[in-house]
Order: sequence, then structure tokens, then C-alpha cells
Amino acid sequence: MKQKDIKVLVVDDEVAFANTLAQRLKMRDMEVGTAYDGEQALSKLREKTPDVIILDLKMPGMHGMDVLKEIKRGYPHIQVILLTGHGTDRDEEEARRLGGFDFLNKPADIDYLECKIRKAFQEKLERTM
Amino acid sequence: MENKDEEDLKTLQLRFVGKIIAGFTHEIKNYLAIIKESSGLIGDMIKMGKLSEKDIPEYLDIIQSIEDQIGKAIEHFTHLNRFSHRMDTQISSFNLNECMEELIALLNRFARQEKIVLETDFQQDLPPVKSNPSMLQLLVFSFLEKKIAGLEKNGRITVRTGTVDNAVAVKITPEGTFAEGDGDAGTTTGKIRENFIKQLGGNISQGAAKETVITLPVHGV
Repeated sequence: MKQKDIKVLVVDDEVAFANTLAQRLKMRDMEVGTAYDGEQALSKLREKTPDVIILDLKMPGMHGMDVLKEIKRGYPHIQVILLTGHGTDRDEEEARRLGGFDFLNKPADIDYLECKIRKAFQEKLERTM
Repeated sequence: MENKDEEDLKTLQLRFVGKIIAGFTHEIKNYLAIIKESSGLIGDMIKMGKLSEKDIPEYLDIIQSIEDQIGKAIEHFTHLNRFSHRMDTQISSFNLNECMEELIALLNRFARQEKIVLETDFQQDLPPVKSNPSMLQLLVFSFLEKKIAGLEKNGRITVRTGTVDNAVAVKITPEGTFAEGDGDAGTTTGKIRENFIKQLGGNISQGAAKETVITLPVHGV
């Protein structure tokens, strides 16, 4: 399975962070888009469906947990990895209950994140087969 | 009853400091995350063999981005440091604009999370004020907190400074729609505010559309 097949959406209100992370993932042969808040992310899903979403938790306006709920309601096969600098154990528990694939602390090691994205993509393929 | 007031005051103070620290650590962690990804990107580019002369501008852009983040982090540390040192002495001579700028910078993230724009509009030639800057910051925070919580998304709050007769003034003007049930009057926080302004020898007035004006005598308490 080529990683090139993986479509990723990075959702984070810190524009410089989202763009730099997207650039690094692109260099790892992924197709990467960015959204800078929850509403924008949901509207992007209507245009193009990614395989994996990297989602920040604390964003202005719509909270990451609500975005996760909406994604899972409308697009249950998309795998969501929460990437947050300020998540609590309770947040992690809630994210997993809502169907989040994984819960990582920001900043995450890029190789570790890449590995998680690949695993999430495999999970998606298995579920849709 | 006095004990209840003291308890309410302590709760407000703790909430204030908690908000400031939470916002500060959040901002700093974000700057560090961007710096980490930017330096990682430089590493990626080197590993990929992007080492020709035409790649130099891209490297310079990333280095500039790192410098920008470090600059923002230092500015934030300066604000927090000044904020903490204001508590060293109760009464001091201070610049009202600096005192408000620091407060707004430290509370900005808190407002941004609620999709509220926090703006400043300062009169530049204000005289120094002899008063209790920490108490003033807590007082202004108590209004900002209430207005941020009450305003619906995409609202705006402008904090202005100026002079009125022989006093300096902080005017807090919200713009936007307030959610139902919001009100400043009659709460315990209101009692705390009355006590503060009495100690500061100033005055609080409520204008139209939930505008708040705090005036302080220049030569203090």
C-alpha cells in the first residue's frame, strides 16, 4: 500500500503550525489539505473526503470535540487523530468514546505521527472492505 | 456575610490568575510547536537533498518564521513578567496604557476561543497614575470576563483609555449580540467591584449597550 494514496486534512487554528505540518506530511508523499477552524473543516469535507483528519481540540468557535462528533455522524469511515497541546485524560476518554482513532500530544514526533496516520488509513480500508 | 464576600473575592482572584496562566501556557506551547515543526522541516529538506542555491529563499523563510515565533514568545513572557511584578507593591505610579495592554495581551486567547475580538484604542499622552494596578486589572478582568461570556460569537470588545476632567478612564465597549440573561448588576461580583472602586477612589458607570467606564483619580488613593 503506497502512502501516496492517503488523503489527509490538518485542522488547526494556528495557521503557521497547520501549514508547516502539512508541508512535512506532503514531503512524506501524502496528499494534504488544511483547515483553520472546525466550520471550515466540515465545509471542506463536503468538497473532498480525506481518509484521515488531524484535528486540534481547542479552537475558536467550534470545539474539536464537536467537530469530531459531526465528522463521525456524517462520515463514519474517516479516521480522526486528535492532536492537541492541552488535552486531559478525560478529553482522551471522550474522544475515543466518540470514535476518535487516536489522541496525541502536540507537538508530536513526525515519524510517530506518520506511523499513526498510516495505521488509521489501514483501519479505514479494512472497515470499508 | 463578610466571609462569603472574602470567599467570592478569592474565587475571582484565583479564576483570574488561572485564566492568565492557562492562556499564557497555551500560547507558549503553540509557539514551541511551530518552532519544532519549522526546524523539523529544515531537517526534512536537508535529508531530501534540497541543498542548491535556489532553495536558499525557502530556508530563509522558515528561519524567519522561527524568529517570529520566538519574538512573539518573548513578548508574551515580558507581559507575564510585568503582570506578576505588579503585585510586588500595592500602590505604585504606573502607565495606564501599559497596564491595560498587558492585560489584554494575556486575555486575548481567552477571547479568541469565544470568537470575540479584543481591541485597544489608547490615548497616548496620559499622565502616570498613582494607584493599585493589580486591583485595576482584576476589576477590568471582571467586566471583560462577563462581557466575553455574554456576547455571542463574532462580537467585539474595545478597551479605550482617556482622560475625564482630572481623572483617567478605561472604557470597555462591547459590540455584538448579547445572549439572553446576561447582566452585570446584582451579582456578588458587583459587590466586589464596588468595594474595589471604593478602595481605588474612582467610579464605575454603565453606559448604553452595556458599555462600562471606570475612572480613577490620577493622584490616587
